[in-house]
Amino acid sequence: MKRFMNLLRKEIRELVTAQLILSLLFMVVLFNFIGRTSRKEVERAMAEQTIAVLDLDGSASSQGIVKGLESANFKIEPMAGKPKEEAVEAAGKSEAKLLLVIPSGFGDSLRGLEPREVETYSYMRSFSLIGTRSQIIVRSVISALNDIASDSFLREKLPDYDPDGLKNPIRARDFVIVKDRMAEGSPNMVAGLMSSQSMLIPIVLMMIVIYSSQMVISAVAMEKQNKTLETLLTVPIRRTSIITAKMLSAGLVGLISAFVYMAGFRSFMGGMGTDEIQAVAGRPGADIMRQLGLYFDTTGYLILGAAMFLAILTALSMAMILGVLAEDFRSAQNMIMPLVLMVMVPYFISLFADMATLSLPVKIFILAIPFSHPFLVSQNLYLGNYGMIFGGLAYMLVVFIVLVGFAARVFSSDKILTMKLRFGKKKSAAA
Amino acid sequence: MSTVLRVEGLRKTFGTLEALRGIDFEVRAGEVFALIGPNGAGKTTALRICATLLTITDGKVTFLNHDLRKDPDKVRERISYLPEEAGAYKNMKGLDYLKFMANFYARTGEEEKEFVDRAVRITGLGDRLQTKVGTFSKGMTRKILLARALMTKPVLAILDEPTSGLDVLNGLEVREMIRRYVREGTSVLLSSHNMLEIEFLSDRVSLIDHGRILDSGTPQGLKDKYHASNLEEVFRSAVQ
Repeated sequence: MKRFMNLLRKEIRELVTAQLILSLLFMVVLFNFIGRTSRKEVERAMAEQTIAVLDLDGSASSQGIVKGLESANFKIEPMAGKPKEEAVEAAGKSEAKLLLVIPSGFGDSLRGLEPREVETYSYMRSFSLIGTRSQIIVRSVISALNDIASDSFLREKLPDYDPDGLKNPIRARDFVIVKDRMAEGSPNMVAGLMSSQSMLIPIVLMMIVIYSSQMVISAVAMEKQNKTLETLLTVPIRRTSIITAKMLSAGLVGLISAFVYMAGFRSFMGGMGTDEIQAVAGRPGADIMRQLGLYFDTTGYLILGAAMFLAILTALSMAMILGVLAEDFRSAQNMIMPLVLMVMVPYFISLFADMATLSLPVKIFILAIPFSHPFLVSQNLYLGNYGMIFGGLAYMLVVFIVLVGFAARVFSSDKILTMKLRFGKKKSAAA
Repeated sequence: MSTVLRVEGLRKTFGTLEALRGIDFEVRAGEVFALIGPNGAGKTTALRICATLLTITDGKVTFLNHDLRKDPDKVRERISYLPEEAGAYKNMKGLDYLKFMANFYARTGEEEKEFVDRAVRITGLGDRLQTKVGTFSKGMTRKILLARALMTKPVLAILDEPTSGLDVLNGLEVREMIRRYVREGTSVLLSSHNMLEIEFLSDRVSLIDHGRILDSGTPQGLKDKYHASNLEEVFRSAVQ
């Protein structure tokens, strides 16, 4: 144990370099900076904004629009008395992001049920999505005003009828059924909540797997490049301990790095307003999700944890073998590619495709990739497909045992020194 | 003199390549035994097998009654190996590297300190050991690696080209160091291209070519046998 701990300490020290700490700090600071900047922009967009209004009508209806805008937290900058061209120029010089021009005869047209256009002039001083928000709100105000105008007309002409009933004679009441549970709500909302609820799991898993694997491959490749491997293999410590120390150190450092990245990413996403959106969407949706059983209990979290743990172990053992094939640190960068692809393919499939609708050969291909299973676990947990879950866990365990056994054999044989893949060597030799 | 290492009918193949074709030699307690031969003769392969790095295709290697095939872990406790192209961990300070390596062999903290103190004396690098190995010259790195190999006073030190890449003065210093440790009881199995080095260091030598031992004996005995003035002439005559 003393020897193992000695080796483990060395492996961790080798991995935790000043460059790693600096790059992690840099990423956190960068994500945080972008997040804060975005948050400020969102806050600015959500705060009271100025809209210039040129009311050429001056009727009660046009005043209604202006009042509606004021109640929607817009500061109105009147452009009364100016001709349109002058108003466009004046509004452009002011803080206003948009100029609304209400034409003369607007109120009369509304009363006569003749469609009438209002004009909006947006000043695009930046091209961010947030910059166009003011126009979206103006459109929703106009849509509300359209409703008000049509409702008042219907009330006047057909006083015995409910205008809403006349305009929307057919209504839908949505129910969602998952397995044997049913709740009232829209499937879109449930799907949205599901994806926001489990969005972080595949990202965290992907980052940990890629990070840790990169570290293991590099650790073995660096031993080769620095010519320290031969010495290490002749010191009195079991080869399995060497493998375990390398895997454990890479797993730990990879885990910490991934969580640091995720903290930065979370701060970045928070700045983009995801938290607020989730908070708003989550409140009415929470009851539906509970009714449908679409939440993790303790057992669910344990199963998910086990799946992620097995995926990390499998990736590390695979990386150990790939590291043996690498000749030096540079070739180690290429060795990570097969592993990255094996993680990316199921990640994107879990995002965009439905396993149930895939053809059998594609399904077999996906399920044969051990890293597919943790991506599918959360969905299978929600749907109660325990056969698939435990089958996946067992499969990953078998793959891990086979790979570790193979890695141990490689480390105990001549292959640790003789097995290698050379990238581009032939080409350069020929040259 | 008792035998520390006995190699009998050792064969080693890599695919279709036969690197060793059934060689026999033994290293006795307190002696320096050298393998001499050209590049690709099989010297490093033989040394790597004796250091438990490579597996045995056929034949038998025994170290102090331990079969290398069966007890490689026990053998590693009592030997040390210095590869020809060895390096140390560049991000570690010299002293930390020695402590790290000593920790594998020492049973107590006191023994570890004893090993490290000995290694510090062997290197003669003083305060430079407080700096990172990555800043060391080739000579300094070789010295720290040799110190690592000798600090535990192993029963058998396997040294592959111990003075490889060193200048004349550093090479001389290393050779004297090896002789001093042999006097203190360590046996040495070494290989070298440098015939002068072999003559200075070795008690007995084996001439190896194309995976076969051509002849064995003391340097003086071989020179007498082949009527040669140095080991280079001995080797040329043995090959012919």
